[in-house]
Parts: sequence; C-alpha cells; structure tokens
Amino acid sequence: MTTTSDLDRVGMILLRYMRRPLFVLLFVYSLGIIGMVLMPGRVVDGETTHMDLFHAFYFFTYTATTTGFGELPNGFSDEQRLWTIFCLYTGAIAWFYAIGSLINLVQNPHFIQSMDGFRFARKVRRNAEPFVILCGFGDAGSLLARGLSDHRMRAVILDVDPERIKALGVRDYTVAMPGLCADAGAPKHLLAAGVEHPACRALVTLTNDDDTNLKIAVMARHLNPRLQVICRSTSTRHGGTLQALDNVTVVDPFAIFAQLLYWVIARSELHNLNAWFVGAPGVTLGSPLRVPQGEWILCGFGRMGHRIHRCLHDHGIGVRVIDPGEEGEATETEGDPVLAQADHSALEAAGIGDAAGIVAAMNRDADNLSTLLSVNELNPDVFRIVRQNSHENQVVFDAARTDLVLQHSLTTARRILKLLISPLIQELIDWLAQREPNQTEALVARLQVAVGDEPPHLWSVRLNPDEAPAVTRLLSEEGVVTPGALCRDARAFSQALPCEMLAIRREGQSIMLPDADFPLAAGDELLFCGVQAAEPMLQATLHNPYTLHYVLTGVDPPRGYVFTWFADRFGERCRDNTSNSRHPRT
Amino acid sequence: MNFERVVFGLFIILTLSLNAAFVAHGLEAAAHHNVWILTLAIIANLVAIGLKLGDRSETGALLLASGLVAGALLITARIIWIVTVPSGWGVPEAGAMADIISIARGALVANIIATAILVGDTLLSRR
Repeated sequence: MTTTSDLDRVGMILLRYMRRPLFVLLFVYSLGIIGMVLMPGRVVDGETTHMDLFHAFYFFTYTATTTGFGELPNGFSDEQRLWTIFCLYTGAIAWFYAIGSLINLVQNPHFIQSMDGFRFARKVRRNAEPFVILCGFGDAGSLLARGLSDHRMRAVILDVDPERIKALGVRDYTVAMPGLCADAGAPKHLLAAGVEHPACRALVTLTNDDDTNLKIAVMARHLNPRLQVICRSTSTRHGGTLQALDNVTVVDPFAIFAQLLYWVIARSELHNLNAWFVGAPGVTLGSPLRVPQGEWILCGFGRMGHRIHRCLHDHGIGVRVIDPGEEGEATETEGDPVLAQADHSALEAAGIGDAAGIVAAMNRDADNLSTLLSVNELNPDVFRIVRQNSHENQVVFDAARTDLVLQHSLTTARRILKLLISPLIQELIDWLAQREPNQTEALVARLQVAVGDEPPHLWSVRLNPDEAPAVTRLLSEEGVVTPGALCRDARAFSQALPCEMLAIRREGQSIMLPDADFPLAAGDELLFCGVQAAEPMLQATLHNPYTLHYVLTGVDPPRGYVFTWFADRFGERCRDNTSNSRHPRT
Repeated sequence: MNFERVVFGLFIILTLSLNAAFVAHGLEAAAHHNVWILTLAIIANLVAIGLKLGDRSETGALLLASGLVAGALLITARIIWIVTVPSGWGVPEAGAMADIISIARGALVANIIATAILVGDTLLSRR
C-alpha cells in the first residue's frame, strides 16, 4: 500500500495540474477540426470537395504544434485558408499554454519530491542485491558509504539535508547507492528505503542527533525484528535503552575513540594490527608507533575528554588536563585541571616539558591545530596526537606536524564497516586486547610471513554445500579437515598458501586463532586474511574434492573408474607418490 | 607425474589430431578423406570418454561433456558414410561427403575445447 501512495500522489498532482490545459486543447482541437471539415474546398470536376475527418485531424496536428507542412493533402480553397488562419492562432496558443503548464508542473517542488520518493522506492524495491540502509550522510556516513562501496556492498541512504543528498549524487561509488532527502524517523521513509526488503542486511543510524538515532532504531526494530540495527549513540542514557533490544548494536564514537587512543598509547602493536586490517594509509604491519612512557597531557575535557580521561586513568596512565572550563562540569581528576585555553602558558603550567605526549582532543579543529603549533614550539619531542573533527580539514591535518591524527567520524565508520563486512575481525581485535601483547606480536609475525608487503585481504567462508561443497561432503563422511590443511598450497604441497585462518564462528561461539590441527565442522564460518590471490586458490580447495584430498594427504588419487580399478588391482604402482608425510607448516 | 593424466591426455590429444587429419582439405573431394582415420578417431574418443567416467570434479564434468559432444558428432559422420555407401567399399558422392566433413569439423571444435580445458587445468594446478 505505502509503495503506491507516492505514485498515486504523482498521478493526482499531474491530473489536477493538467486538467485545464487539456480541456483547452480538446476544445480548440474539436472546433478547429470540425470547422475544417465544414469549410468548402476547391471545386474539382464541378464538385465542391470537403476535407475528411482524418485529414482534418492530421492538418490540425501539424498546425497546432507549429510544424506546418503546407496545404496537405491538396491545395486549399480561400475559405479553407480563412479557417486555417483561425486554427493557427488558436491552436498554437492552446498548445503553448499546455506545454507551459506541463513545464511548470515538472518544476513544482512538491511534484519533484513526490517523483524522487517514488523513484527511490522503486529502485530499492527492484534491487535484489544485499544492501544496508544508511540514515545520515554526514562525515561518518559518507566515509562508511565509501568503505561499503570499496567492498561492493550496496547502501540505501536517507538524510534530511538536501545538500548532503546532492553531494551523494556526485560521488563515484562502484555500486548503486540510491539516496533520498527525507526524515528517516518517519516509518514510511524507512519502508521506502527497504526495511522490510528480504535483501536488507542491516540498518545503520549515523545522524548527529542521539534522539533521532534512537527513534530510527526503535522504528526499524518494530518494522523488522530480524534486522540487524547498528545505532550511533553518545549518551549513556540511550545506550541503556538500546542495549536491551536484541539485534541492536550500539556504537559510541567517543568510546571507540578513547579505546583507540589507549591502544595507541599502551598497546601500539595492537593498534598497528588494527590499522593494517582496516587499510589505514601509511601503515606497515609489524612497525608500530614508538610511543614514549610517562604522563600525558589532555587538552579538552568535554564529553570526549571525559571518556579519554576515564579510559586512560583506568589503565593506570597519568593524565593532566587542560580545559577552558566552559562546560563547568565537576571534574573527578586528581590534580585540578588547568582552566585555560591550551596556549603557551597553559601548556607550561601543565608541564609540557616533561610530559610523554599530548592529546589535543577539543571539539574545534582550529583550537587543536593552534595547540599543536604551541606544542611544536615548546617541546617538539613530545608525542602529539590530534583529534580531527571535520573531514573538510583533512588537507591541513595532513600538512600538520603530528605523530597521529584520529578522526572520530573515520574511526566510527571503520568500526561499523568491520561489523557489517566481517564481524569476526572486531571480535578478534577485542579478544587480542584482553590478552598479553606477545599474542598479538605472534599473530603479526605469522601474518608478515603469509602476506608480506601486500595489502591485507579479508574474507570469510562458510562451510556449507554452497560455498564449500567438497569440504562439507568430506565432513559428512566423517573426514577430518584442519585449518593447516586448508591453507596448504595445492600447487606445491610442502608450502602454505599466503593466507592465515584467524577465527572460526561455530553456533554463536567464536574460536580465535585456531591451531593448525583444530578439527573443523560443517556450518563453521571461517575468517581468512591473506593476499588477494589466495582467495581463488582456497576456493579451488573448497570446491574440488581431488584438490581437497591432495592438500589433506599429499596423494593424488585416480579419478576415473578405470584407473580406480587399476589402482585397487595393482596397488600403489600407478599412483604418484610425491609425498605421504605431512609437512610441518613453516 | 600422474600416470592417469598421461594416459587421458594421450587419448584426448590423439582424438584431436586424428579428427584434424580427417577434416583437412576439400569439403567435397572424397579422395582427401580417409574412412580409417575417422574410425580411429571414434575409437580414441570413446576411450577418452571411458577414462573420464567417475571423475567428480568440475573440470572432469566439462571434459566428459565435450568428449560426449565430439563422440556423438564423429559417430553421426560415420553413420552418414555407411548409409550413403551401400556397397561398402566406395566413396560417398559430393553432397554426402560435404555433410560428413562439416559434421566432423563440428566435432573438431569440441575436441579443441576439451584439449584447451585439459591444458588449462594442468597449467593452473601446476603439479
């Protein structure tokens, strides 16, 4: 019902607008045609000819539309020419009036809006590919859309700001990304965006307003309880409401930012691995940032500042705060914050000379950049981390002399992208964060061997008859398949493919970094990381029973009935025994 | 080196070679074509099909399919030869000869496809 309402409205507007011009046209056409038939034509063989109805209509058509073919089919008499003059003026005027009304209608904003909505709904309805609904196309939204486009995942975008939808129109995404300028909080717009569409994978709310995000999440939850909802929320009050709903993931940009900052400061190897996974530019696996130990200075003590302070404080890192104190919040720091703009004197008061590093985390880019200039003058050796608020200022931050720029819209977009594309990756990172750093270093060493200098390629495989027919058949015949065997190169038995199995998800449980001889089961979802070329090689192993048998045993068995019979009859003679022993993976 | 691959490759390529030898030169001139070559090509082809029976892989299925197509066409060509030469040891007249050769050329395409699949599969697996 809702999908046709837009079309009904379009039809209704069209009819209401065009009623009078159409009647005018009808009247003028009728009058002109009837008059033309009645006018006596030329006298041929003593008979006065008359134009017939069809030719009169034909004549009036090319006259009213100002085409003008001349006197067809035969020359006119003077009476007919008189009538022609009348037809010309009335017909042309009526025609222009109708055309003008139509153009006026097409430019009518309500009509344009209805047409856009109708087209958008139709596009979404006809799309069979899996897609994500994205509410809010601000900094984080557009970064997420770019990431989805890189992964060939479609998105349907809703934003209340017409400028943002116009900006969407000039993006060069690799897949179709239909957008509509509408309030995503209205259920009919969510329906038009395909909340109930079977191909809809998830709904992401990234508007700047927590209340709107909560509203959208609740609406979507009611409209389609099975849909995964990822909701951006910075307030703890909403977080509590949303956490209670299943299938809803709350993403707090400030918490993510604080966590990332803590990783940079205290777990640089983990930050390095994470940045490498998400493809951050300029990151080399295995060469983490060298961050000095000691006390840190935090500039800015708003909502994000509080988060950062609490996170670092909980992990035993000393923090001195500088804040202009506009927000007037009670601070729970030991040692009063320096209440000032973060300029020369304030930085000296906070002891910039002996600090290990500084975090400029104010919510205005200009403040952060000016603080950075002061820091560079006072103590250039300190480790400088800067918060970037607006994506527009990217060029300045690239040019600034800093050790690390963290942009919370980007970190949020990357986190959500990971949740959408391969949730196991985020689980693995969180799992590593709770373990000793040497576990991360061991994994980095493994990945360095497997992937080398190439960019990482992450993909997941589900052991079901569609994606891995050979493996599922073998498992159903009580065979044993292990990660070590799957990652073996079928072209050179003793070597491993350039990929590593990172995690297994089995019946809601996740097994991180499985051993090489961990027995796999049907239905497992496996997460691999390797070079791009490893995926098709692994596909061959998963699909072809002979390749699978070969990587498991190192024996290439006879395939046809004839040679199977031969092999059974004469034993080992016609098999090729390259190796029967299992090679340890290097 | 896998003995099964050697034998199968031998028969596939032998079929292709014999087929090419049979259809070479004029379409209608019976003197250019030898019925023995056609018969040997059919035999080699049937052996290749027999060797592929029981292979469960995707390439195996494609090889079997192309072998079956080539076999069907070659046998059709041989049947036309038999039907148009009732006495047994003559040669078919020009029209029938043209039919036989054009069908055998169709079989040649199927054999080329089979050989291409075999070579490609071997190069890709590189063992």
